[in-house]
Amino acid sequence: MTGIRSLYQRFCRTLLLPWALLSHYRRHPWQLAALAVMILVATMLWTGVSHLTSQARASLDQSEQAVAERQQVVRHDGQALRTDDFVSLRLAGVCVMPWLEVTPEAGNRLIGIDPLAARCFGDGAEAPGSWEQPLDGRPFVDIHAAATTDGIRESQLSLLVSDTTRAEALPPAYQLRRFSAGPDTGELGDSFLLNLEALGILVLLIAALLLRSVYLLGLTQRRNSFALLHRFGVSPDRVQRWLMLETFVLALICVVPGVWLGRWLAAGLGSGFGEALDNLFDIPLYAGQGQSWLTPALVMLAVVKVASLGDWLWLRFRQRLFVPAPVWAGVAAMLLLAGLVLAWLGPSLFWVFAAVALVFAGVGWLTPVAVARLAHWQAFRSEAPLVRWRYRELAVLVRRLTLPLVALQFALAMVLAVQALVTTFEDTFDHWLEQRLAAAYYIDVPAGSDSDEVANWLAGQQTETPGMEWHRVVRGHADFVDAGKADGQQVDVYALAPVSSLVRGWEFLEATARPWEHLAAGEGALINEQLARREEVGAGRTIQLDFGGQSLTLPVVGVYPDYGRPVGEVLLNADSLPDQFTPRSESYAITPGVPGIGPVVEAFHQIWGVQSLPMRDSDTVRELATGVFDQTFALTRAMTLLTLVLAASSLLMMGWVFFSARAWYFRLLEVWGMPKPQVAAQLVRLSLMLTGGIAVLALPLGIWLTWVLVHRINPLAFGWSLPMAVYPVFWLELGLLSLIIGLSIAVLMRRQLGRPGVAPVSANTLAGGER
Amino acid sequence: MTDSLLAVRGLSKHFISGNETVPVIEKLSFTLGQGQSLALTGRSGSGKSTLLNLLCGLEWPDTGTIVMQEQVFDAGRARGRGTTEAWSALRRQHIGVVFQEANLMPALSLLDNVRFRARLAGRDPKNSEDWLTRLDISELAGRYPDQVSGGQRQRAALAMVFAMEPALILADEPTGSLDRHTSDEVIRELFSLQVRYGCSLVLATHDAELADSCQHHLDLGHLSGV
Repeated sequence: MTGIRSLYQRFCRTLLLPWALLSHYRRHPWQLAALAVMILVATMLWTGVSHLTSQARASLDQSEQAVAERQQVVRHDGQALRTDDFVSLRLAGVCVMPWLEVTPEAGNRLIGIDPLAARCFGDGAEAPGSWEQPLDGRPFVDIHAAATTDGIRESQLSLLVSDTTRAEALPPAYQLRRFSAGPDTGELGDSFLLNLEALGILVLLIAALLLRSVYLLGLTQRRNSFALLHRFGVSPDRVQRWLMLETFVLALICVVPGVWLGRWLAAGLGSGFGEALDNLFDIPLYAGQGQSWLTPALVMLAVVKVASLGDWLWLRFRQRLFVPAPVWAGVAAMLLLAGLVLAWLGPSLFWVFAAVALVFAGVGWLTPVAVARLAHWQAFRSEAPLVRWRYRELAVLVRRLTLPLVALQFALAMVLAVQALVTTFEDTFDHWLEQRLAAAYYIDVPAGSDSDEVANWLAGQQTETPGMEWHRVVRGHADFVDAGKADGQQVDVYALAPVSSLVRGWEFLEATARPWEHLAAGEGALINEQLARREEVGAGRTIQLDFGGQSLTLPVVGVYPDYGRPVGEVLLNADSLPDQFTPRSESYAITPGVPGIGPVVEAFHQIWGVQSLPMRDSDTVRELATGVFDQTFALTRAMTLLTLVLAASSLLMMGWVFFSARAWYFRLLEVWGMPKPQVAAQLVRLSLMLTGGIAVLALPLGIWLTWVLVHRINPLAFGWSLPMAVYPVFWLELGLLSLIIGLSIAVLMRRQLGRPGVAPVSANTLAGGER
Repeated sequence: MTDSLLAVRGLSKHFISGNETVPVIEKLSFTLGQGQSLALTGRSGSGKSTLLNLLCGLEWPDTGTIVMQEQVFDAGRARGRGTTEAWSALRRQHIGVVFQEANLMPALSLLDNVRFRARLAGRDPKNSEDWLTRLDISELAGRYPDQVSGGQRQRAALAMVFAMEPALILADEPTGSLDRHTSDEVIRELFSLQVRYGCSLVLATHDAELADSCQHHLDLGHLSGV
């Protein structure tokens, strides 16, 4: 009995300390709620971004693995494959496997395969291990499941054959063709993922800063309780251990729903993101991929622990290594300088991202020091005691609110840069589309139809029809021959005949004299920016293209911008194409002139003998082209704005609570006879100086980041650059937002001052007596 | 009483605690002449600090009248902006308040604190250094409040108050956080300057000996209408 009682008493004694520590949150439940919400939202944001990134990475890997070195069977007449074709090929003894890619209305793309048919691949020389895995929807499913998926928006059936299959083994109506779900994106896919990962890291960094600021606030308010416990004989180490346990339990409780919400966010954003990926790299975002629950949960637990115990770890480190403050400032300045130089000269995307990290670290370190120094200098210069006091107060605030201020500065800079990038892209893309879509209608040539007859008819009509313009577009592939490399890089061929005035309004990044005339005469080729950058070819240089063994050498007469695609492209006069060129598709771009499109359509029907024409007008094409980017950019904007909101809320909360700890000194102004409106004005000026100053300091960082995105990261990641543009109206909007945050702090603080009970004793107990 | 600086008539103040009304001051009346000193004593919660807040307009009475430098503040009249501004002007120029602690702006040096207060009162801030010298802390002029002792901080607070050349000083246990020796020094300085410059003093204290040093004594624990 005595033993049980002693055990019980020991148990009670053990719980006494956590009970005393947790009593703080009984008095400040909102602080606990804020900390929990911070952890939850930060986990959600980061899990969302990282889940999409890992899903994209898995999809890229899967695509490369699944379709590498494969070939498919296609019909000679270009018609779509049907079940009969599969039967004919199997009866002829060809090992074929149906590959059905479906894109549902909601969700990611799926690949349906037939496991029975795939077995014959296993006997081949190469084992296509990629589809020997379980058909669990990652991304492979049974072909029946793919075919019966709800709300299929798009489906494409291919018949794959093993690499050992020779063309002679096929029945006469079929031929072999390389199978590829998309072009070889080289490093572009990885670069795209690197961009996403950088965004994820930035989100994580801001989240960690915010967590840390809220946690520090709690510690500051509990300092007296800790001192009391110390006087009662509780060792600081024991208090520290309980605090570690407290943050761990809180993190554990909040991280799990945060991860769940993050995955929900990723699922919600998945379709838009998938379309962006598909459009940029021709790589679909496959269903069911991405990281497990454990990784984000562990990462966020680690972040919470580091964010909350950073001080403790830092103090231990500093005790061993004492470095004077000016040395730290020097280190920060060196980081900043190294980052700026590296961003300018960095040879690859990795180095540019490293440079961005260095610049952010340097700026984040130097900003509070610089602002505090500036405030002290202004105070020193001023003769008026009130102004001097205000600047000194500002210096204190900057030092005390370093973390949320730097987080806000980063978030503002990021929003500013992303907004500039997106707006510039939209403007440039719109302008570019206007040039590209100069024709009113685009009509595809049906498979097996005679394209020349239509061209002859159009040429005859043009002389009789005022305002009529047209050209034929032939698309296909060629190998770009580089003398230094054994294998040529595949490029898209975009051939025109005639070189009509519909294309002559294009703008060039660089060009020789009279490029269109040279193209029309078959004496030159135009190349897109992607190819120019990748192969380091410019106007005036000569390129060599290989068309199935037949080569063509032409001078480059111009380089044109080409947005949103990773592949290199060569624009030629169709009359220069060698005989061995196999067109992938043909179409006509037509502005019909006065009689309208009716007679043209009628003539095409008659010539080709088809019931319906695959025809699109320029508005439809424009809508399709812009739609994809709209969704992508909506996503990007939403992510950055959410980060900004998070940073702003943190500053608002921290500012309010710290100002509250400082409330006595504003009350003292009232005691000294300063009228209340004047005290309120001091509050407003101080908080506006704080947030407005941060917005001003975010501006150069944001402009620099815009430059890095536009001129360094974008060309390295996507192969095309954008003009550098700035948007001062948006700067003003962000500045206004910062001022609103400042005003909100002042309003909250004024309410605090209006309450009775602001007493001098509160000044030091809440650590508000700093200078 | 023609030379009275401060007159209080029928002053009452109560606070609400839950559903209960707690009277703190009830029907208090007194007058204080120019250059006179009054000690307020009483147990904790007897209303010393509340009375000081009422006397400088930081709180508003429920009933009664305060006449300060011939300006009448009647609780019966609505507390308008004009009244608030009148009290602000009085505090700015004529009423010096000294608390137990935290009388100084932590972001300003001792000298800047004194200058700030003098400038706010419309006095010449050039005399600020003289006040620090008079209170024997001139060598600490450039230091910040957290760099000096509690006694030195209270001396600086006195320097601030006298730099504004007040007509009335309200001191709320100004030496409550100091040791006996320092406390005696600070109080000696306070009385000496108060007498020399002819200003009135209302001093809230627990110290009976200190209360006896004042010309008048009001024990808030034992009175109900004086």
